[in-house]
Amino acid sequence: MKDATQSQIEESLTCQCGCGLTVHSCNHVQCPSGIPLKEEIATQLAAGKTQAEVLTYFSTKYGEKILSAPTTTGFNLVAWVTPFAVVAIAATLVVVASRRWRRKGAPAAPVARTEADGERRARLNAELDRFDA
Amino acid sequence: MVEIGVLALRLALIGGLYAILTAIWGAQARRPALVRSSRSAAYVVHALVATSALVLLRALIIRDFSLEYVASYSSSTLSLPYTIAALWGGQAGSLLFWALILTCMSTMVHLQNRERNAALMPYVTATLMTITVFFLALLVFVTGPFERLPVPASEGADLNPLLQNYWMMIHPPSLYLGYVGCSIPFAFAVAALATGRLGDVWIRTTRRWTLFAWFFLTVGNILGARWAYEELGWGGYWAWDPVENAAFMPWLSCTAFLHSVMIQEKKNMLKMWNMVLVLLTFCLTIFGTFLTRSGVVSSVHSFTQSGLGPFFVVFLLTIIVIVVGLVTWRRDLLRGENEIDSFLSREAAFLFNNLLLIGIAFATFWGTIFPVISEAVRGIKITVGPPFFNKVNAPLGLALLFMTGVGPVIAWRRASARNLRRSFIVPLALGFVTGVVIFAAGWRNYYAVVCFSLSSFVLATIFMEFYRGTRARQALMGEPAPRALANLIGKNRRRYGGYVIHVGIVMAFVGVAASSAFRLEEQKTIHKGDTVQVGAFTLTYKDIHFTDVAHYSSMLAEIEVKKNGASVATMFPEKRFYKKQQQPTTEVALRSTLIEDLYLVLGSYDDKSGLMTLIVFVNPLVNWLWIGGMVMVLGTVIVMSPTAAEQRALVAALAVEERGLEAALR
Repeated sequence: MKDATQSQIEESLTCQCGCGLTVHSCNHVQCPSGIPLKEEIATQLAAGKTQAEVLTYFSTKYGEKILSAPTTTGFNLVAWVTPFAVVAIAATLVVVASRRWRRKGAPAAPVARTEADGERRARLNAELDRFDA
Repeated sequence: MVEIGVLALRLALIGGLYAILTAIWGAQARRPALVRSSRSAAYVVHALVATSALVLLRALIIRDFSLEYVASYSSSTLSLPYTIAALWGGQAGSLLFWALILTCMSTMVHLQNRERNAALMPYVTATLMTITVFFLALLVFVTGPFERLPVPASEGADLNPLLQNYWMMIHPPSLYLGYVGCSIPFAFAVAALATGRLGDVWIRTTRRWTLFAWFFLTVGNILGARWAYEELGWGGYWAWDPVENAAFMPWLSCTAFLHSVMIQEKKNMLKMWNMVLVLLTFCLTIFGTFLTRSGVVSSVHSFTQSGLGPFFVVFLLTIIVIVVGLVTWRRDLLRGENEIDSFLSREAAFLFNNLLLIGIAFATFWGTIFPVISEAVRGIKITVGPPFFNKVNAPLGLALLFMTGVGPVIAWRRASARNLRRSFIVPLALGFVTGVVIFAAGWRNYYAVVCFSLSSFVLATIFMEFYRGTRARQALMGEPAPRALANLIGKNRRRYGGYVIHVGIVMAFVGVAASSAFRLEEQKTIHKGDTVQVGAFTLTYKDIHFTDVAHYSSMLAEIEVKKNGASVATMFPEKRFYKKQQQPTTEVALRSTLIEDLYLVLGSYDDKSGLMTLIVFVNPLVNWLWIGGMVMVLGTVIVMSPTAAEQRALVAALAVEERGLEAALR
């Protein structure tokens, strides 16, 4: 097995050959980008750097676009937070809207189901069949 | 012959414009003759587009390399099936193919509705023809499929070797059927807005079309994943490539619509929301096409990249302005009878299901365009790759999986304690036990544990529905169990077909979770006779073979596979070199079982040293993703098969509409 740290770093970097995959996933024969990058990672690790240090090294050397996901600092936080914020806001809206949509007048009594919906339906269909027959 | 193709496209463009004008004029001025004429024009446009497509197909087959398109996307040694696939393998051809499918569907819609929906149809015609005209205008004015080369080429450049794979024969057509299928509900939605007939009719008329589009989007996405799995050779099937996202987003919003529309049918709620979902789904299909062709974001699908981006942006913005205007104008008519009694109800469950589906669609959209935003704000290009999408979408996806178990069985209006106990105690217990067992077995990927646990919860709710329904029929009708089950499904195809689709979804979740969390991989450079050990597999490099045919040369490594010491297979991972495009491709060797896939890639081979690099993946349970896809297909077929009851409901809705019309005229 490959060294786990090496693999994790490969996953954190994007191959620049245009394949759109991470360095780890790119398997182009003699890939002009992926293979040198893999070697460079190994060299950096051999020099005793930690994972974080290696990633900093790469983003300084090649620019931030080499990282396969946005960092979690500064404006990049917007990338991470927005989807969850939007879902949370939408969920709040759903809750507020459905409170407003409560039946006006007397609150409805809980529906006293004696059987699950599907089963009742099956029974009804069966009864109808018998009626048809 | 080629001139016929060019002429047919030009005439089709004129015919399309004529159809738009006469349809709208005829409807506004209440002149049925004009409306009939617009319908005939739509048929003629279809015939002309088909003619043009046939001319291009003929040029490909007879290898007319005087045409730029033929010379760019095929060659004399390309086999017939891929020569046909070259019709959609390049820019202009794929636009023509799109127009062909669209006009074909337009004809079907017009034939179906000759006697029906008289008020809606002129606007449906106008909408469909507007989309057609957009594509035809691109073909006539911007990127013609019949451009001649100054000097005819003696040989073609060949189809991109990555597209020379049998899945590519059906993946793009399937996806196009899905994309284009979304135009039909869209056209009816616009017609409903234009006429103010926002009752049940347009929804019931387009239900089958929406399912049709959803079906092909599903199949298209899964086939695309399968193609990536077999052809790209990186051991995975989904890389959150912008173009994959482009196909995934309309699937999500279409799925949301298919769920929330049930609430409208049952309770007359969410009319506005459903309208928005139909419009959004169509906009996402155009957005996807824009992403594929504009090159604003880099992608493996860049073979269709071109300067068409701006046209699609303008078209998309125009559509958005028009539909926002229409919806605003009709907002009073879109007010439904929104009523929710409790959060413990099916209505609420469906709302949350929609929230999650659209949430995932939004997260995907956001990640896809964030590089552009980042560049605009900070002036720095960044990459938003698979790790981002996996992290953001995994929790949302798992929440959605949970709702898949809750939504279909919780009671309408307000679930009683009894309903909850009866429906959920056993499944929840099973889910919990599954989680504990997996955890105890030493599997420590939390997402995967939660996913398996939820999967068994969902499967249990579905199984109980089938079991109780069958038992009820057996008791009442005295039918034997298999017959009772068949009748149960047959009498209520939407419900039980839906459950079958959910089973397929669960299988896909399991396949994805297992293969991403527990995948093994190994890469080794070895000599003949050496072995590689991966998990339970021992792989021995026996030999290497070279072949050479006119179209490509190839080398195959012969690998003997032993599992736990017992010989199980000999596999031949292959590397091909396509001569015309001077491009190597990977032909992986696969040994698929229900438990795991052994996936071998021949990385490289060095003639001098005789060293071969072998890349090995063991993907557990990945087969369930494809099986799940097939189960979803089966479920959709059950849901779509017509029932008498549904037909009655449509006829009844049409009758109500007609009575309303008569009353209005009196």
